[in-house]
Amino acid sequence: MPYREKVAWLSLLSILVVFIPYFTWSAMHPPGPEIPNLKQMAFYAVASLSWAAILGIGHLVLRSSSRVEAKLPMDERDIAIAHKARGYAYGVLITGMILVGGFMPFTNGGWEIANTAFFMIVLAEAVFSACIIRAYRRQHA
Amino acid sequence: MSGVIHNKIRTLRFMHGEMSQAELGLRIGLTRQTIAAIEAGKYAPSLEAAFRIADVFNVPLADVFEWHASAPDSTTQG
Repeated sequence: MPYREKVAWLSLLSILVVFIPYFTWSAMHPPGPEIPNLKQMAFYAVASLSWAAILGIGHLVLRSSSRVEAKLPMDERDIAIAHKARGYAYGVLITGMILVGGFMPFTNGGWEIANTAFFMIVLAEAVFSACIIRAYRRQHA
Repeated sequence: MSGVIHNKIRTLRFMHGEMSQAELGLRIGLTRQTIAAIEAGKYAPSLEAAFRIADVFNVPLADVFEWHASAPDSTTQG
């Protein structure tokens, strides 16, 4: 498996492991309107820090297990794959930002807007990783 | 016009001492996986990479890559 596909798997799996619980819990227990909502902010911080920790440790493990491949620069196909994946992720992100910035301020507020924005950013990152995995699996650019 | 790019990289590697995909990739700055994708016809390399591959085997570009145009689709003709 190419090193960059492993990195994409790491990113995708870490998103699933950390943010499915975060968004499920946030949906089942909607944060209250009080400001500051320390409980929700703490949960948000724990999720973000956990994600960063998993990614950091995962990158160290991948780099130590594929030292030579990890040092190689991206070749033209790697760049083409990343470029295409970035295009799909941008589509998801801009759709989310239109929703969050253009519609939700008139119908929702507070943490609903913040969590929806956060969700769309995470979803865009997941789409980016999934597109990279798909391209490497199919050998396409 | 649609078409398919065929290549003879596998044959040329064999004729050059069973050169590995990794070695060919290393010599032209591509990964082994990219060479495998090119060989399988799933990725069309840039013109520069194509010339580099031909240069490694010391043959003209046309001896490595061939373009086969598909027959025109009659249903799309005016």
